[in-house]
Amino acid sequence: MLELNHLTKRFGPLEALHDLSFEVRPGEIFGFVGANGAGKTTTMRVVLGVLEADSGSVIWDGSPITFAARRRIGYIPEDRGLYPKMSVIAQLEYFARLHGVVRKAAHEASIALLERLGLADRAKSQLQSLSHGNQQRVQLAAALVFSPDLLVLDEPFAGLDPVAVDAMTDVLRAEADAGKPVVLSSHQLDIVERVCDRVGIINHGQMVASGTVAELTERGPLRFWVDVPGAVAGWYDGVPGVTLVEQDGSRWLLQLADDAGEQAVLQKALTLGPVHEFRRERPALTQLFRDVMSGKAVDE
Amino acid sequence: MNSQALIRVIATREFMTRIRTRVFAITTALTVIAIGGYILLQAYVFNTSTSSLEVGFVGAAQSISAPVRAEAAGFGETINVHPYTSAAAGKADVQSGTLDALVSGSGAGTTMMVQSKVDLTLETVLNDVARGQVLDQYLTKHSLPPSDVDGQLAFSVSVNELSPVNAARVEQIVIGLLVAGVLYVTMVIYGQLVAAGVIEEKSNRIVEILLATVRPWQLMLGKITGIGLVALVQVVLIAGVALVLASATKLVSIPTLGIDVVISGVVWFVLGYLMYALLYAAAGSMVSRQEDVASVALPVTLMLVAAWIIALTVAAPDPGSPATSVFSFIPLFSPVIMPVRIAAGVAPFWQVAISVVLVIATIYILVAIAGRIYRNSVLRVGGRVKLSDALGIAPSGKPVV
Repeated sequence: MLELNHLTKRFGPLEALHDLSFEVRPGEIFGFVGANGAGKTTTMRVVLGVLEADSGSVIWDGSPITFAARRRIGYIPEDRGLYPKMSVIAQLEYFARLHGVVRKAAHEASIALLERLGLADRAKSQLQSLSHGNQQRVQLAAALVFSPDLLVLDEPFAGLDPVAVDAMTDVLRAEADAGKPVVLSSHQLDIVERVCDRVGIINHGQMVASGTVAELTERGPLRFWVDVPGAVAGWYDGVPGVTLVEQDGSRWLLQLADDAGEQAVLQKALTLGPVHEFRRERPALTQLFRDVMSGKAVDE
Repeated sequence: MNSQALIRVIATREFMTRIRTRVFAITTALTVIAIGGYILLQAYVFNTSTSSLEVGFVGAAQSISAPVRAEAAGFGETINVHPYTSAAAGKADVQSGTLDALVSGSGAGTTMMVQSKVDLTLETVLNDVARGQVLDQYLTKHSLPPSDVDGQLAFSVSVNELSPVNAARVEQIVIGLLVAGVLYVTMVIYGQLVAAGVIEEKSNRIVEILLATVRPWQLMLGKITGIGLVALVQVVLIAGVALVLASATKLVSIPTLGIDVVISGVVWFVLGYLMYALLYAAAGSMVSRQEDVASVALPVTLMLVAAWIIALTVAAPDPGSPATSVFSFIPLFSPVIMPVRIAAGVAPFWQVAISVVLVIATIYILVAIAGRIYRNSVLRVGGRVKLSDALGIAPSGKPVV
C-alpha cells in the first residue's frame, strides 16, 4: 500500500502542497483530479523522489519509501519523454535494462508488451515516426516493461481518442487486478468516474474530497426528480425545507434540506395524482468537481 | 543494481547510438582522408629529401662514388650508387626517372646530369669532393702528401650555443604540440557534444523518467563515459591511420614519438576529457534549448582556448621555462600544457605525478559541484537557470514546472 502523509512543499512564496494525505491500496486505481496548478504533478514527483517534500512522508508497505522501492515504480510523467530517434524496441529494452532486467529478459518483455499493446509491427520504427496515440502507448510500455510494483501515471489519457482510452484502461485494470496500486491523474472526469475505484480531488495543494465515486456523489445536495402531471406551481410548499431547483414540464427537481423527509414529498405528490417518476439525482463527478473548485462543498 | 552496472547501461546506450550515426562515420572518414592526404602529400610531393637518391657514376667519376656517398651520409642523405659503363645508358635512365642524377668526368671536369631539379645537398657534396680531388692532385704535384694536409684540416670551428636548439628537440616539441592539439580539439568537440546531449534529454523531457530511476550523478557519468568512448574510438582511428602512414612514408620516426608520449597522451585525454565533460554537462543542464548550448558552453570552451593559447605562446617556445611549469600545474590547463613538456622531455616524473593528482582531485570536486548543478537544474525548463539556484545556495523562487 502507498501512503502519503501530510506532505507540504513550497516553491518560494507558492505553497504547492499543503498537508496532503491519501493512500492507495493494492489492486486499486486511484484517480487524482484537480485544476491546473492544483499540485497533482508535484505530488507525483514527490512520490517518485524527483522532488523532495519540505515535510511529510511517503510510506510504501509500512515503511518510508526507499530509492530501491522507487525504482520499482512505473511512471508516466506529465511531460512525455522518450528518445525520438531511438527505435521503439531499443527504447523499451533500455528502460528494462535500467531497472536491472538482464538483456535477454529485457528483449522478451519488450516484445511481449508491444504485442499486448498492438505495436508489434512498429518495434523497429523510430519513435518519432509513430502517431501521438502510439507514442503514448510506448510511453505506457516503458512504464510497464520492468514489471513495476506500483504505477504512477500523470495524465495518462491526455490526447487519446476513445478507442485508445479503452485500450489503456484495459491494461491499467489488468495491472490493478494483479494486485498493484495504480495512481493516475486526469482532467477527463468522465473517464476517471468510469475507471477509478477511488477518487481524490485536490485544490491549491490540499485534498478537498476523497472516496469512492459513489461516496463522493452522496455528498452532493439531496435532490429528487418528481414527475407529477397533476401538480401546480408551489405544490411542495407545505413540506418544510423543500426548494425548487428546476422545472421541466411536469418534472420537478426539488432540493431537500437534510432533515426534510423525501417520503413527505412523495406523499404530498401522490395526493395530486399519479407519480410517474421519483428519483434521487446524483451529481456527476464533473458537477461535484465544479462545486469543489468553487468552494461550495468542502471536506469529507 | 549497483552504480557501476547502471552507468554501464547508460554509457552503452550513448556509445551505441552515437557510434552508429552517419555523422560519426562521415566526420571520421573525412578526418582520416584529410590527414592521410596531407601526409602523402608531404611525403611524395613537397619533401623528397628523406628518400634516398639514385645516382649513377660513369667512367672516371666512378672513383669518387665512395667519397660522395660517405660525405652525403654526413648530411643525412642516402645515396645509392649505380656504376655505368655507358653515358648513353645513364642518360636514358635519368630521362626515365630511374636515376636521380648521373655523374661523369673527374676533377674540374666533373659533370652532373639531372632531369630538371638538382638536389642541393648532392650538388654541394659533389662540388666538395671534386674540389678535394683537384686539391689532392695539386698537392701531390708539389710533393705534399695529401694525408698530411687533410690531418691539418681535420678540425671544425667550435661553437658555443648560449641557448642551444637541437633538431631532435624541435621535433619533440612539434610532437608535443600535436598531442596537445588533438587533446584540445577533441575536448572542445566532445565536451560540446556532452552539453548538447544533456540538453537533448532535458528538452525531450526524458530526463524525468530517468531521474526516477537513476541518480543524477549516475546519469551524468554514464553520458560522459559513453560519449568519451566514442571520442576515444575516433581519436585512436585517426591517430592510428596517421601513424601508420607517417611511419610507412618515413615522415616521422616512431622512436621520436616515444611510447611515453603515447601513453601520457591517452592518460591526459582521459583525465582532461573527464574534467571538461563534467563542466560541459553542468553548463548544459542549465538551459533547455539546443540554441542555447553555444552560449552556455562558452565559458568552458574559453578555458580550453586559453590553455591552447598558452601551449602555443608560452610552452612551445620554451617548454623548460618556469612559466610553462607553473601553467602545467594548473589543473584546467594541465591536460594541454603537460603533454608539451612531457614530449620535450623536460617534465620530471614527480611533477607529472603531482599534476595528475591535482587533476584527479579537481575531477572529484567537479563531480560533486557539477552533480549538484545538474541535479538542481536538469528538471527546470524554460529560461536559463541562475548559477546560484543551480548550486542551491540561494532559495529558489520559481516552481519546478
